[in-house]
Amino acid sequence: MHLTNEQLNEYLDNASTERAEIETHLDSCDECAARLSALQALFTDLDSLPDVELSTNLAARFSPRPSLTPQLPRWLTLTATLQAAAALVALIVAIPFFSIMIPQIETPSFTTWLFELQSLWTSWLDTLSTFQLPITQFPNLPAYPVELSTLFIALSIVSIFWIFGNGLLLRNHRHS
Amino acid sequence: MNAPTDRDLILQARRGDAEAYGDLVTRHQTSVFNVCYRILHNRADAEDLAQETFIRALDRLHTFDIEREFSPWIRRVAANLCLNHIEAQKPSAPLDEERDEDKTQGPSEQVEVKERSEQIRSALASLPPHYRIVVELRHYQELSYDEIASELNIPLSDVKSHLFRARKLLAEKLHAPD
Repeated sequence: MHLTNEQLNEYLDNASTERAEIETHLDSCDECAARLSALQALFTDLDSLPDVELSTNLAARFSPRPSLTPQLPRWLTLTATLQAAAALVALIVAIPFFSIMIPQIETPSFTTWLFELQSLWTSWLDTLSTFQLPITQFPNLPAYPVELSTLFIALSIVSIFWIFGNGLLLRNHRHS
Repeated sequence: MNAPTDRDLILQARRGDAEAYGDLVTRHQTSVFNVCYRILHNRADAEDLAQETFIRALDRLHTFDIEREFSPWIRRVAANLCLNHIEAQKPSAPLDEERDEDKTQGPSEQVEVKERSEQIRSALASLPPHYRIVVELRHYQELSYDEIASELNIPLSDVKSHLFRARKLLAEKLHAPD
């Protein structure tokens, strides 16, 4: 009695539980040995199939993948949060100044502006040269417990901090 | 400096590092593409499915067991996607005309090797989809019968019958006397 197709397949797949019996049979049966050789030849054919090269780089399509949300380092996230908080504080501080200053600014008409450009420019320069802090010009401004000069320095530092933070964020964005 | 392992790249990709995932794709794209090409025997489809494999893998990356090897996993994902693709296309026109044929010429020995490879690929492509996928998983991904049954969610007896019949068909096509 010859080996079954299943026995030969399982033998070559190393999945047979009767290897010794099969080998004994193969030693004495030319027909089954020939069938096994034919099956082995098929295995060899399948193993010989070479890999083919890709014509495109699949990875290139993943680099700009938008669904990958860039995760910022913790310190940078903290910087962004702090600068947002600082900007909010700066806005709150600035609101009283603008609410008082804006109504008092007279916007010249186009023709007036055309004719008085030179004198306006001169007056601006003059104003700048003699500029005093708003509290002296607008007595209704709310009083802060800190010196205005200190406040301006603080706002400047916040601005620098903000610009620096944005620079880091943009640099990270370019690299992602 | 040592190159990052697959595990390192996966962990970085999970944190949103697109470049790390790109490196992972670069590392495995050829083997994944070849899985698809062996099953589909069409370069354009194989590239599309390989691409789709990496997209699916990215979506499932957070569930991937980091202690396992990435390569066998991604290749099995590819094989399953190809099987789904073939089944979805079943009613379409015969694929034989669309299938790739390597028409490049070279030294005679090289041509013979290419011709033999083409015969094998054509024979594989002529198999029913379930036979093809079982051959892929057994011969090229070296999964055991049990692993194939688990992967394809089919009984062990089906794995064996598909595989043994597939081999019989392949032998008839490849070793038939001229």
